[in-house]
Amino acid sequence: MTRETSWAARSYRALLRLLPFDFRSDYGPEMELVFREQRKDAERHGGIMGGLRLWWETILGIFRTAPGEHLAMFGQDARFALRMMRKNPGFTLAAVMTLGLGIGANSAIFSVVNAVLLKPLPYAHGDRLVLVQQQAPKMGLLDQPFSVQEINDYRTQNHSLDALVEYHNMNFILLGRSEPERVETGVVSWNYFEVFGVTPLFGRNFRPEDEVIGAPAVLMLSYEYWIRSFGGDPTVVGKTFKMNDRLHTVVGVLPPVPQYPDENDVYMPTSACPFRSAPDFIANRRSRMMNVFARMKPGVDVRQAQADLSGVAANLQKAYPDVYPSTVDYSVHTNTLQEQLTHNARPTMLVLLGAAGFVLLIACANVANLNLARMVRRERELAVRAALGAGRVRMFRQLLTESFLLAVIGGGLGLLFSWGVLNLLVTLAARFTPRAREIHLDATVLLFTLGIAVIASLLSGTAPALASRDTVVGSLKEGSGQSTVGKVRQRMRSLLIVTQVAVSFLLLIGAGLMLRSFLNLQHVDAGFQPENVLTMGIGLDFTKYNTGDKTRAFFESLLEKISAQNGVRSAAASMMIPLAGSMRMSNDFQIEGLAPVPGQSLPVADFRVVSPSYFDALHIPILEGRGFTRSDRPGVPDVAILSRTAAYRFWGAQDPVGKRFSTDGGKTWAQIVGVVGDVKQYGLDKNPADEIYVSMAQNPISDSILVVKTAGEPMSVASQIIELIHEMDPNQPAARVRSMDQVRAESVAGPRLTSNLLGLFASLALTIAATGIGGVMALAVSQRKREIGVRMAIGARPGEILRMILGQGMGLVMLGVALGLFGALALTRLLRGLLFEVQPTDPLTFVGVATVLAAAAFAACYIPARRAAHVDPMIALRSE
Amino acid sequence: MAASQGNSESYGPLTPAMFHVLLALADDDLHGYAIFKEVDLRTGGKVQLSTGTLYGIIKRLLADGLIAELRTRPAAAQDDERRRYYRLTTRGREVAAAEAERMNEMVSIAKAKNLLKKLRTA
Repeated sequence: MTRETSWAARSYRALLRLLPFDFRSDYGPEMELVFREQRKDAERHGGIMGGLRLWWETILGIFRTAPGEHLAMFGQDARFALRMMRKNPGFTLAAVMTLGLGIGANSAIFSVVNAVLLKPLPYAHGDRLVLVQQQAPKMGLLDQPFSVQEINDYRTQNHSLDALVEYHNMNFILLGRSEPERVETGVVSWNYFEVFGVTPLFGRNFRPEDEVIGAPAVLMLSYEYWIRSFGGDPTVVGKTFKMNDRLHTVVGVLPPVPQYPDENDVYMPTSACPFRSAPDFIANRRSRMMNVFARMKPGVDVRQAQADLSGVAANLQKAYPDVYPSTVDYSVHTNTLQEQLTHNARPTMLVLLGAAGFVLLIACANVANLNLARMVRRERELAVRAALGAGRVRMFRQLLTESFLLAVIGGGLGLLFSWGVLNLLVTLAARFTPRAREIHLDATVLLFTLGIAVIASLLSGTAPALASRDTVVGSLKEGSGQSTVGKVRQRMRSLLIVTQVAVSFLLLIGAGLMLRSFLNLQHVDAGFQPENVLTMGIGLDFTKYNTGDKTRAFFESLLEKISAQNGVRSAAASMMIPLAGSMRMSNDFQIEGLAPVPGQSLPVADFRVVSPSYFDALHIPILEGRGFTRSDRPGVPDVAILSRTAAYRFWGAQDPVGKRFSTDGGKTWAQIVGVVGDVKQYGLDKNPADEIYVSMAQNPISDSILVVKTAGEPMSVASQIIELIHEMDPNQPAARVRSMDQVRAESVAGPRLTSNLLGLFASLALTIAATGIGGVMALAVSQRKREIGVRMAIGARPGEILRMILGQGMGLVMLGVALGLFGALALTRLLRGLLFEVQPTDPLTFVGVATVLAAAAFAACYIPARRAAHVDPMIALRSE
Repeated sequence: MAASQGNSESYGPLTPAMFHVLLALADDDLHGYAIFKEVDLRTGGKVQLSTGTLYGIIKRLLADGLIAELRTRPAAAQDDERRRYYRLTTRGREVAAAEAERMNEMVSIAKAKNLLKKLRTA
């Protein structure tokens, strides 16, 4: 029989390739024959058109038949695979668990990456939203707030924006519920939510008339506050509450959307904020308090918006040279909201995703190794199937189907695992981005998991499937090839072990570096002692405490009462506490005796308002001069205390105590009375800022934080202090009651969670790799039993056998470590941004990790090696 | 008979193409091309099976035991080794008969409702 070689026959054969291999083998030749006869018929009766019609129908027929046939084949393979899995429960359990962990780690991290980095913002036109920031780099200001005047100018002079809206955050006291409540309040333009494309869940949006000065005050509740404080009761819309001495009506409830830059409880239009609506505040171009967001016009990109707003900035500089002197390098910066919301999270998320990918790689290598080991037992079955006519493709397909089912079941297990750790991940992500709430196991995550399962089945099934070919060939050649087959598989297994060790090494190095970095952070001297310190926020109702005297009197009396309590060592108040946020009050000032030089900017420092016992409560050392005392009051000259860095930067080698500076162009002068130690205010990984402390009695503030040093456990006095506050003013709530230890721990929660997760991945990898090495060595020993028996029979001592097997196993491990070392040197650079005071090539970490890995691998090799050393030569020789 | 009738009826729905293949094999054992020709002839060219459809059906009918492949082949001179010959099994005949009966009943109903007349006059 000759094979037809016409183009039609060749095309038809190509078309048949769409059908499964088995189908083709069974019916292909006859189908070719039938098609040839049909073609002759069609052309004889219908000419070219008849031929074309036949082709069309034939192609359709094959396309209709192929999917069903493939599915049927898969069903058959799957049934067989499930039977095989039931027959080997140990193998199945090990493979499913390993793949489950590998896939689960990826699904879990991907659910975060998807929600935080990949999904568009959950606002209508989220891609057109931008954050606008004023910058004066020479004053150290990269995110200077806007004044009302500036907002008006940018709003009217730009050509690239649809709308420009403002935002600032305040703490107000809300009355009318069972207890007075301090609420985080977002003060916004009337069209703020409209610009963000957010429609209220209940009620209505703000309207232009709500923002008119003197309009009835209205409130919008955030979704979280509504659930937390009102149990999700929709009838809250229309109710009134007292705030700032005015009745406020709730007009709406927001849907659950990420809130940026702050998580607020309620929102109000600018007219309802007594500070923002004060005529003096509105008139003063330098009264800056607001953040600015904008929506770009359709088709405008962020670079065009930046260029446009830079033009406005230049106009302002020209019009108000005294407000924007050339010395401060004034400019405006535009950034997309998407970037702003996610840039903190990106490096960590990508590192974790990479780590999860490595865990999956190790899991796949391990399952491939388990599969290879199982092939030894399946040799006979595969040989019989080959003898019965199963082709190479068929066998390959069968083995891949088995791997696929294992991976799919593992994927299911992985999803359960992801679901279990979801809350932990939300907590982690919330440290970096307000988008954490959007993390769910949604359809995209399910699809990703399926994709990962397919990749895992290919990775873990291909090597054994390829080896099956050699197995079959070897088994069928009687008495020959066995040793070659064994060698091929052994080499493949060794390669997989080397891969696992190398990748584990990489992961361990990553985790080790992060851990070292975290420990470094933990041991940073923050400049204060957080032990036994209680903190508590108090925002006085400014309508009641509307003069400096009243707020001063309240705080002085309160601190005095707290100090008199049992278990309290000292009590202080401060505008801000260290490590609890990035809010700063920067101001420029003039040093007495140094006249301002035209063209040169004035020195800038961060100002902090504190009460006399502040340094004592936090154990901040007084290096020179004195701390604040009760005699530093209004009516006596203003006093100030410098941080060590500020003293050195502004006064150099001179003793600053006794020197004076002015923040109002020389109208009033404050005298420096002391120098205190530096404090890491903005983060343990940040350098101390230049700080000037001023006395609370001379600069009374209504919003402050109590700092109470206690003799014992600080939280135990919290209720006592809250009672004292209520005794003084029943309508005065306290907020954010935390110990300073908690504040410090929360400031490094991000790095801690990251290093914990990386540590978890690395230990997973180490466990999988070590059991893999142990398994492979055990198999190697059982296969070489006869050879070991012969060696022992001719005089090898157990110690020599032990060394031989150990040497073999550790040789692979060392090769893996060496490869991992090169990989780590290349990849750890990517971690640099996340590390604190540790080099990506830190020798201690590298040596430590290599030792841990080698020790674990040694332990894994030792058990089979010992068994080999105890082989009884007679039994071993007889067993063959 | 009643039992086997029940079995045949319980066989899943026959597609028209499957029924045609069973009908084609009702008189004689045939190879693939002959089945195609028989169906073509009996339906006056209205039903033309493509090779993909035909062999998909043959595979299914073989697996379900409605047809069987013949081991005996024609004399070598008239044979092409690629050809395979198929025969209707007893079960296949029962299933085809049950299907024909079912269709007959439906046609009777259609007649009773004067649908066939209407169709003819239409």
